[in-house]
Amino acid sequence: MSARTMQAHPSGEHEAAAAVAHGQSGMPMALVGMLLFIASEVMFFGGLFATYFNARAGFAGTWGPPEGGHIDLPLAAVLTAILVASSFTMQFGVWAIRRGDTGKLKLWTGITLGLGILFLAGQLYDYTELGFGLSDGVFSTVFYTLTGFHGAHVFGGAIGLTVVLARALRGQFSRQNHVAVEAVSMYWHFVDVVWIALFLIIYFLR
Amino acid sequence: MQPTAPRNRLRKMLRVGIPVLLTVLLAGCLLPPDPKTEAGRDVFNLYLVVLALAAIVFIGVEGFILYAVFRYRRKPGDDVLPEQLHGNNKVEVVWTLIPTVIVLVLFVVSIMTLNEVEARSENPGVTIEVQGFQWSWNFVYEDGPTIGPRGNEPPELAVPVGEPVRLILTSDNVIHAFYVPQFLLKRDMVPVNENGTPNDIEFVVSEAGTYAGQCAEFCGTDHAGMVFTVNAMPRADYDAYIAAIEDGETPPTGGGDCETTIDISANNTRFDIDEFEVPADTAFCIAFENLEDVPHNVAILSGSEALFEGSFLNEAGSIIYEVPALPAGDYTFVCQAHIQAMAGTVTVTE
Amino acid sequence: MATTTLEPRAGSYHRSWVLDWLTTVDHKKIGILYIVNSFLFFFAAGFLALLIRSELAVPGMQFLDQNTYNQAFTMHGTIMIFLFVVPVLAGFGNYIVPLQLGAPDMAFPRINALSFWLLPLGGLLIFSGYLFGGAAAEGWTGYAPLTSDRFAPGVGTDLWIIGLALVGTASIMGAINFIATIFKMRAPGMTLMRMPIFVWTILVTATLILLATPVLTAGLIALFIDRNYGGSFFDPAVGGNPILWQHIFWFFGHPEVYIVILPAMGVVSEILPVFSRKPLFGYKAFVFATVAIGLLSFSVWAHHMFTTGAVFLPFFSFMTALIAIPTGIKMFNWLGTLWRGKLILATPMLFSLGFLSMFLIGGISGVMLASPPIDFHVQDTYFVVAHLHYVFFGGSVFGVFAAAYYWFPKMTGRKLNEPLGKIHFWIHFIGFNLAFFPMHQLGLSGMPRRIGDYSPDAGWTILNMVSTVGAFMIAVSIIPFLINVVATLINGEPAGDNPWEGNTLEWATTSPPPPHNFDRLPPIHSERPLFFLTQGHGHAVERPEDLVEEEIVDEKPGDIERRPKDLV
Ligand code: HEA
Ligand code: HEA
Ligand code: CUA
Ligand SMILES: [Cu+2]
Repeated sequence: MSARTMQAHPSGEHEAAAAVAHGQSGMPMALVGMLLFIASEVMFFGGLFATYFNARAGFAGTWGPPEGGHIDLPLAAVLTAILVASSFTMQFGVWAIRRGDTGKLKLWTGITLGLGILFLAGQLYDYTELGFGLSDGVFSTVFYTLTGFHGAHVFGGAIGLTVVLARALRGQFSRQNHVAVEAVSMYWHFVDVVWIALFLIIYFLR
Repeated sequence: MQPTAPRNRLRKMLRVGIPVLLTVLLAGCLLPPDPKTEAGRDVFNLYLVVLALAAIVFIGVEGFILYAVFRYRRKPGDDVLPEQLHGNNKVEVVWTLIPTVIVLVLFVVSIMTLNEVEARSENPGVTIEVQGFQWSWNFVYEDGPTIGPRGNEPPELAVPVGEPVRLILTSDNVIHAFYVPQFLLKRDMVPVNENGTPNDIEFVVSEAGTYAGQCAEFCGTDHAGMVFTVNAMPRADYDAYIAAIEDGETPPTGGGDCETTIDISANNTRFDIDEFEVPADTAFCIAFENLEDVPHNVAILSGSEALFEGSFLNEAGSIIYEVPALPAGDYTFVCQAHIQAMAGTVTVTE
Repeated sequence: MATTTLEPRAGSYHRSWVLDWLTTVDHKKIGILYIVNSFLFFFAAGFLALLIRSELAVPGMQFLDQNTYNQAFTMHGTIMIFLFVVPVLAGFGNYIVPLQLGAPDMAFPRINALSFWLLPLGGLLIFSGYLFGGAAAEGWTGYAPLTSDRFAPGVGTDLWIIGLALVGTASIMGAINFIATIFKMRAPGMTLMRMPIFVWTILVTATLILLATPVLTAGLIALFIDRNYGGSFFDPAVGGNPILWQHIFWFFGHPEVYIVILPAMGVVSEILPVFSRKPLFGYKAFVFATVAIGLLSFSVWAHHMFTTGAVFLPFFSFMTALIAIPTGIKMFNWLGTLWRGKLILATPMLFSLGFLSMFLIGGISGVMLASPPIDFHVQDTYFVVAHLHYVFFGGSVFGVFAAAYYWFPKMTGRKLNEPLGKIHFWIHFIGFNLAFFPMHQLGLSGMPRRIGDYSPDAGWTILNMVSTVGAFMIAVSIIPFLINVVATLINGEPAGDNPWEGNTLEWATTSPPPPHNFDRLPPIHSERPLFFLTQGHGHAVERPEDLVEEEIVDEKPGDIERRPKDLV
């Protein structure tokens, strides 16, 4: 993929060790780690989605929010748009730093972080408006669990973005040296994809 | 090489070991209990087939390991390396095929038996709902009584022999499992929500008697105490049993509380045994099973005088005779319809 | 990002020994921490097993009441699996994999340390239920709705959930580390198809962990929500589905059993060739079989659910039986390795042969269980308990002891005493069979598992007594092992770099290895890079790759002994 120079292998006082730490080519170690981590996250959400489908298949009556509650499609659509947009802005940031443009990196990362926070705020607002709680039946439980865990991942991503932004402001990234940006962006895209799946399943596959 | 010594040792071992192993297997080790339902008989036979396949694999592999340990053991001071063999594709193919074949055979016979076990009749003679709860059972008869635990006695499930019995297995708390080892059958009792259907099972008991049953799915503190008995009896007894309960009587006990029960079956106008022994001055039971649609009974004679006459089974079925106490001595038992062909000795010992 | 601080040099001697172990990021020390920690949990869980067996020796409740009995087998199963076998094998992996790859450390040394330290934390949390009104008591499988707050109100079950989630997270981090290490840190020349089989099995294991454990985590979280926040995933009383838990648990749980057997198979595949003085028969077939087992393991989970009436029996039965084929290939290749070898029956070899013969029994009973009608009879009876101990104990734990005897010299520089090792093996082996073989018959005659008491009329008493005697024999066999370890550490026979004349890279460095592992590496042209350094003078040569090795044999580090040795 990218910057070969970003290899993270032990180097240090021991020439011998260095001599043995050899020919690592291809993807930087940190990105390998991030990809593997994302693979495990895919399975985690896979498990949660499976509970959703299982609950829905075995449910007596009409599937949906309980009496007196509703789900807010327009708001969810807006949130989806925000998160998808943030994936683009993140990628602009990555492309910028691949060109070595640290200024643009700061700008796009900042915007992405802003969009992420907006998404979280929107989701919290949504929760207060729905009119049902987690313990109000099967639908409510899976709804809050899935969106809640997704929200927690957005929150985690936002922390990652904050770190990237802080390091960018201190000038720690360059064209050769920006593996953290790549890693966080991968994660952010992943979180975005999960949301799209969630959105389709919860709001359309009814 | 000087293979003779180890080879001899090995031969001796195999000569002793394999018969011992086979005897152990044949002596009834590693077998399920004698099955008391028709489908249970099928499962038992399937088990025998699978056990035989297992024994072949076991003896083959284990035998080779032992062989190798004795045959290829390095001798002290032998520093020459053996041939450095890295593999052989032909052999790989062969030993991929062997387990493949075994596995396919196993799969096919399993599914055939599965169909027997899972068969459901259109109209079972009896349908009973079995309710599991923490930690006992209720047996709810269709249009009939409900039998639950009585004091310290485990609850008893009465069923007729020789006809399909269907059980609907329900629970409204945790998962339990209905298990009667002598039926070689168990099924989970899963609590379901409004949308679910409970499990059911169906079986035909082939022999009257009482059989122990127990909850087999861990269900909390007193899971171990969640036991019951199945009391299988001829249809007439069954009807009387149910009627008695509906009249508020405690259920009549079947042959289950005999000290001694002798199993006798009749087929092709022959008894399956020609002698048995019982203690003197004690009542005992005979669990009699007629395997053909020819009238048979069991009677006990002293000379020509009948000490006990069992009622006839005019077609295939089973019954439990309660035989009064006999003084010590030798007697004959016969089928009174076929006195010549069906006779044997009863030894009553002090 | 991972940058390693290698061992502290002079100048940091003031750091205390304890602090050094607590803060180490060296894969070798972490590996040893894993192993020691796992053995402590093994003793704890083994102690519970002895309680269980004492209670079951005769009918009636003698030592425990029903509730403590239920806690005992729940903790026993949970701890044995999650805090003994999985971590102990991960510990050997941690120590050995970088060495066998010719790497200086794991890919992410700090994450490595973190994933270790989560283990004792998780384990203590699980155990701490005993301090707060009783540990979890719903079985290691925690079937819903027995685990709901209605039926299991105690905090013990919550601690069990949190502890397992932590341990699971730790193993996911460990798995990421292993996969990254194996893909990125191999020495030049170490192609994938030249990796030692142990590394292959760790790679497949790590992949299974990576993909299966998160699903359990999701399930545990759902369970936690049900218990504490009024969720309705699993409790049918509020619309949930208890079978869903079983699907989630076994989707994880079945791969889990291969997670604990594959590395043990890897260990045996290292040991058999060395002690038969032959290469592993059918290396490629082995690799493919390992990968095939890994793939199949995700499609068989419902064989634990045959009696639920909720799964499609023929499919899961068929897929389960299929696993016998790649496993059979392995078994036969092991036999092929023994064939015409020169077997040296040192303790590691004894335990490996023990593995072959005992795992075989467990595998066969597994295939019997895969037949639904038979399973209808023996499911949730002692037949299953026999099966699971033959594969776990007869398989994985024999593998663990084989690995311990085999790699102890590498880790400490001293060789465990052989006579004591053999005493350990034989008591262990006999005790094991006494303890667990009778359970097959108990199960066939209908003794359910997870009962603390049984009727004296059931006819189960004698076999239970035999089993209890066997269990205590196993416990006794641990004594010579412990004596051996302690005595060897104090005053053991120095091992030298390559006491067994092994052919993989861990034997190319000193015992114990320096912090950075290797000063120089031999060239790697086959899966046995050391073969010509140790054995290759004037003997039959089979493969062209080996010839190449002979030509460059002068490059070897000078410290490898060439003399043929009596190893025992
Ligand atoms: C290390 C752990 C381990 C391993 C490796 C296995 C391996 C296998 N297991 Fe086992 N299993 C468990 C651990 C393990 N299991 C545990 C812990 C449980 C109980 C969980 C609980 O409820 O608490 C369980 C339960 C369990 C069940 C459910 C029983 C029940 O609850 O009703 C089943 C059913 O199919 C099963 C099947 C198998 C099969 C087919 C294999 C196969 O992989 C075995 C393959 C190996 C061989 C077959 C031997 C070598 C092959 C040959 C020599 C080739 C020729 C052989 C033939 C053709 C037969 N196992
Ligand atoms: C790797 C896994 C593993 C291992 C190694 C073992 C090892 C043993 N297991 Fe168990 N076992 C399981 C995994 C394992 N088990 C699982 C998963 C279950 C199912 C749980 C469930 O149903 O939920 C189970 C269930 C189980 C049962 C069934 C309980 C029941 O259903 O009611 C029994 C009964 O005999 C048993 C016995 C034993 C015995 C005697 C040993 C012995 O081999 C143990 C030998 C070890 C020792 C004896 C330790 C020696 C240490 C000392 C002597 C020192 C003592 C310590 C101090 C003084 C500090 N185990
Ligand atoms: Cu009911 Cu166990
Ligand atoms: Cu399984």
